[in-house]
Amino acid sequence: MSLFGTSSGFGTGGTGVFGSTTTDSHNPMKDVEVTSPPDDSISCLAFSPPTMPGNFLIGGSWANDVRCWEVQDNGQTVPKAQQMHTGPVLDACWSDDGSKVFTASCDKTAKMWDLNSNQAMQIAQHDGPIKAIHWIKAPNYSCIMTGSWDKTLKFWDTRSPNPMMSLQMPERCYCADVVYPMAVVATAERGLIVYQLENQPSEFRRIDSPLKHQHRCVAIFKDKQNKPTGFALGSIEGRVAIHYINPPNPAKDNFTFKCHRSNGTNTTTPQDIYAVNAISFHPVHGTLATVGSDGRFSFWDKDARTKLKTSEQLDQPITACCFNHNGNIFAYASSYDWSKTPSFWQTPGPMPWCCVYCAWTNQRGLPNLALMTTV
Amino acid sequence: MAEGGDVEWELSKENIQPLKRGRDISALHQALSQQQDGLSSAINQQRQAFESELRMYDGDDPLDVWDRYIKWTEQTFPQGGKESNLATLLERAVTRFTEEKKYHNDPRYVDLWIKFAETCPEPLDIYRYMQAQEIGVTQASLYIAWSEEYENQGNCRKADLVYQEGFKRGAEPHDKLLQFHKALQARVSRQVMMHVEEEEDSDDEPKEPERVCLADLRHKGKKKAIAPVNRTGPAIRSISGGLQSRGAPVLGNASNSRLVIFDENKSWMAPPTSRAKENEQRPEKWCDVKAPPPPKPTFQPFVEESDQPPTMTPCKINPAVNTVLSARKPCREETPLKRLQEHHQQQKEAESGKPQEQSMYCKELLLSGATEFCFEELRAERYFKKMAQESQEARGQKDQASGSAAN
Repeated sequence: MSLFGTSSGFGTGGTGVFGSTTTDSHNPMKDVEVTSPPDDSISCLAFSPPTMPGNFLIGGSWANDVRCWEVQDNGQTVPKAQQMHTGPVLDACWSDDGSKVFTASCDKTAKMWDLNSNQAMQIAQHDGPIKAIHWIKAPNYSCIMTGSWDKTLKFWDTRSPNPMMSLQMPERCYCADVVYPMAVVATAERGLIVYQLENQPSEFRRIDSPLKHQHRCVAIFKDKQNKPTGFALGSIEGRVAIHYINPPNPAKDNFTFKCHRSNGTNTTTPQDIYAVNAISFHPVHGTLATVGSDGRFSFWDKDARTKLKTSEQLDQPITACCFNHNGNIFAYASSYDWSKTPSFWQTPGPMPWCCVYCAWTNQRGLPNLALMTTV
Repeated sequence: MAEGGDVEWELSKENIQPLKRGRDISALHQALSQQQDGLSSAINQQRQAFESELRMYDGDDPLDVWDRYIKWTEQTFPQGGKESNLATLLERAVTRFTEEKKYHNDPRYVDLWIKFAETCPEPLDIYRYMQAQEIGVTQASLYIAWSEEYENQGNCRKADLVYQEGFKRGAEPHDKLLQFHKALQARVSRQVMMHVEEEEDSDDEPKEPERVCLADLRHKGKKKAIAPVNRTGPAIRSISGGLQSRGAPVLGNASNSRLVIFDENKSWMAPPTSRAKENEQRPEKWCDVKAPPPPKPTFQPFVEESDQPPTMTPCKINPAVNTVLSARKPCREETPLKRLQEHHQQQKEAESGKPQEQSMYCKELLLSGATEFCFEELRAERYFKKMAQESQEARGQKDQASGSAAN
């Protein structure tokens, strides 16, 4: 690929593996396993924007690296390049033209990775690890938004070492999402702040959390005119809230639903509750996918308020997920997410195996219909 | 330097919460100087260190970290208040170890309970709960704090009974308990003496019974609603938080009674009858009277298109100030004690194997301390610790290498 200039691949790369080397619980959905997955837990996944030909997937990991794969339509995945941070990578995003990737890390910096030259340079600095990074493309400006555990939200012009703007938050940033002209940040202690990005970013509203437990992931959804109109918020206690910003009838339009729980509805066994690790909206159908520590992913229709499909259970938690630009491919990463008890992570030995899978979706935007269980 | 510190402490005396064990003056100076420039990053870092220590601790005395954290918080936030999170910390600390029998009579743990009780609206309930749960029942400090609470509420008899209970349970240290008990007895007897003296004094110049405005009255009779006719002297409740006017009573009523109105009409023996009005309306119930509905406009009121409120108004208010005017949250009816009891109940249910739900993650690690952590923060703490260890080892090796090279 000329796009990557002099970039060299990594690992053995080059051939697609269709779950042939793995056991059933490893890849029960028989999805395409991305070659050369990261060596440690995968914290984030992101597909390239529609401006780029082909599909490129990036994934950041706790092994301090960000990798980029090309996902070909014939089901082959080709590792393309990687970049390193000096600490675990917590989030990554693409610029709107697809020429650059931005990465946020525990080393308190964010980097801009130019894919053409395969060069990375630092563009942001916080006093704490950076948990969320997003590219903002407005008509009159474009910038990078970083949310950190130092309780600030900063906006960076990539050319200056100083932020364009720094906004104080009441608590540490836990997750964020941006769809111009709206940004939403969920913080520790169940804080929820909506920002508007027109002209320049400013705080729009603080919202009382619709959830009773710690916020874990948030994703903005759009209305029929393709404008952001609300968000889905996931908590550590197996629940997702659908929240509209300006609903005609707040009591009826906003709701929460349970997910990622064991089927212990009978009274003999308690219901096991898992964390919701990520939420992603299908770019065409508007359905949402949630992934959880229980090792399953589920598809939901928020308008009909129904569950569409749930996957088989993987042997590991699913930590990240994303759709590609036209919703043909659903990628999810199975790796270890730290939700286990202390005794688990104190035992020595190699970290559990980490995998990234790609599932091709049908016309309804659902992957691998035959293998998924209906409601 | 010392002078400057002194001035500072003089200037902010009223902002310092009293502590039973007193304050370390150097810590106080430091806290006061740091607080001038907001919550400094040094404090945040220290707090963060404690928070992560709470979660990373794997020794056999986890109470120690909590104890140090809480003592540090007390010293670092002389004003107390919400940002110190002291009340939350205390509650989490006492809840955390309710199941650990080995701590139940640990003086540190009992101290935490007493501090916790003092932050609660009803300390007596907490002490009773402690007694019921057998927490600190062999510790003199429990009985001392409990008794002091009774004494503050003016119930010296109960205060004494608490000490008796303490002696019965053989609370340690015995000497301390004895000493405080004697002090209580001394105070009570002095109070009685003072009362007697006062009464003797007042006999010399008996005061006129004086009506007191806005005073609470004693109930008379079985029906609580009946107020006494005589509103002076003994009829007024002794403890009254309301306004009390001593000295000259308000003139109003007395002078009013003397003021004679309508002097000329003394000759009228009967009150003047109302003039017979033709259209006099009899009083009637108003509840079925309905106002006619307002007429609907027959035209469409013109609204300028640009007048529509934009869906996204930028908020220009400083976010830090914004919270002051945020909507008031509905107040919860739960007290710390209720939460404790609920927690206890849940534990019991979990033990009996009938929980409805169980969280499949390390909940106690996320929710320990004053603030919550997310999975990534927990993991990052581990990561940083490991990095620090490795770099230290590397430095050690380098030192060794350079040492041997020099030799």
